[in-house]
Amino acid sequence: MSAFQSPVLGQYIPTGSVLHRLDPRTKLLFVFGYMFVVFLAQDALAYLFLTVIAAGGVWLSRIPLPMIFRGLKPILWLIALTALLHLGFTKGGDLLLQWGPVTVYEEGVRQAGWMSLRFLLLVVMGTLLTLTTSPIDLTDGLERLLKPLEKLRVPAHELALMMSIALRFLPALWEETEKIIKAQQARGADFETGNLFQRAKSYIPVIIPLFVSAFRRAEELALAMEARCYRGGKGRTRIRQLQFAPRDWGMLVLLAGLTGVLLWLRLNT
Amino acid sequence: MNRQRLLTMIEIAIMAGIGVLFSTYITIRGLWPQGGSVSLAMVPIVILSFRRGWVAGVICGLLVGMLNFVLAATPPVHPVQVVLDYPLAFALLGTAGWIRLQPGEKGTFWKVAAGVTLAGLLRFLAHFISGVVWFGSFAPKGMSVWVYSFLYNISYILPDILVSTAVMALLIRNAPQLIRVNQ
Repeated sequence: MSAFQSPVLGQYIPTGSVLHRLDPRTKLLFVFGYMFVVFLAQDALAYLFLTVIAAGGVWLSRIPLPMIFRGLKPILWLIALTALLHLGFTKGGDLLLQWGPVTVYEEGVRQAGWMSLRFLLLVVMGTLLTLTTSPIDLTDGLERLLKPLEKLRVPAHELALMMSIALRFLPALWEETEKIIKAQQARGADFETGNLFQRAKSYIPVIIPLFVSAFRRAEELALAMEARCYRGGKGRTRIRQLQFAPRDWGMLVLLAGLTGVLLWLRLNT
Repeated sequence: MNRQRLLTMIEIAIMAGIGVLFSTYITIRGLWPQGGSVSLAMVPIVILSFRRGWVAGVICGLLVGMLNFVLAATPPVHPVQVVLDYPLAFALLGTAGWIRLQPGEKGTFWKVAAGVTLAGLLRFLAHFISGVVWFGSFAPKGMSVWVYSFLYNISYILPDILVSTAVMALLIRNAPQLIRVNQ
């Protein structure tokens, strides 16, 4: 079954650390804010603050380093490419190396280092968010953060509900797809040969039953929800309430402090 | 709650689930000799868009993008990229339904092709701008990030559009009930 990899849905690794216990809203806000302030950094001191926070996050999460590295893998070649581009094309400062048409300047090395670090910090923080927060918690957090937009008629509750349903049905849909693929293979279907269009065409006998059954599933679920008097978001209560703890406020203060320091460094150096 | 509205919501949710499966886990290999794959992620979004109108399609796309973010298909690299590459790019795919389809009438293929191409190009635009912004913030000064972003993004979106058009045309011919709503 080379063409179909088994899905590992999400990257969440529960370790019960303090990062895991943070409110998902805090983590979303912190990571998003962090991604903005990274771009303020220009000198070693600023990068030092950012690195300490990212490294502290990794340490606090109690997630084994290889797991974090696995999340970074798809991005590593991009980081390497960026570094190479800077080594080759950024000019300025002393000429450090000349080898045929290839020249490496001092500024190029500096920029290659900073840009790779910036890239790495962004990706580590993004990965930490999904490693320490389950998709369901992230959905909850997003719903609550989008709540103020309900005044602008953005259906935050409905969006979150649809996201939860999609997440809930992903494994079932995956299983069903696999079953249909096997059933068609048993009838002699071939997904592995021919050109692109022939391969795409061979998926038609998979897609049609999958979609037909998906629409049937949707109808059954709608009926079941109606039977239980689902009325949309108005007046709906929830079993798990998100609540800000002191540590959440602490994180937001940390973010504000970091932003302040980086702004100050940017304006004064 | 209105029954059709509830049913539409659930259909959006389940199609978004299929969209996530198709965008990451089930892809068609063989685009380039060394790896590289075409995704059918457009197909469920476009089907829903033809079935329930472009608003439903846009919401479905939005969900696919948000789910891909929550499931961390690829880690984010820039705050602007988070918005453009995930929710917006996929939401724009839902615009395919701006054309109303009557299965069986003449010229259906061209209508499907027009819908899919327009939606695909809008998606391309979102990824293209995103690429310019985020790669621009990393690349050396003076590098033409426009060209790189254009070439990189068109290299996979163009095959996606062509294959999705072919698949959509076959689907609508062989299973027109998929875009018809039972009342």
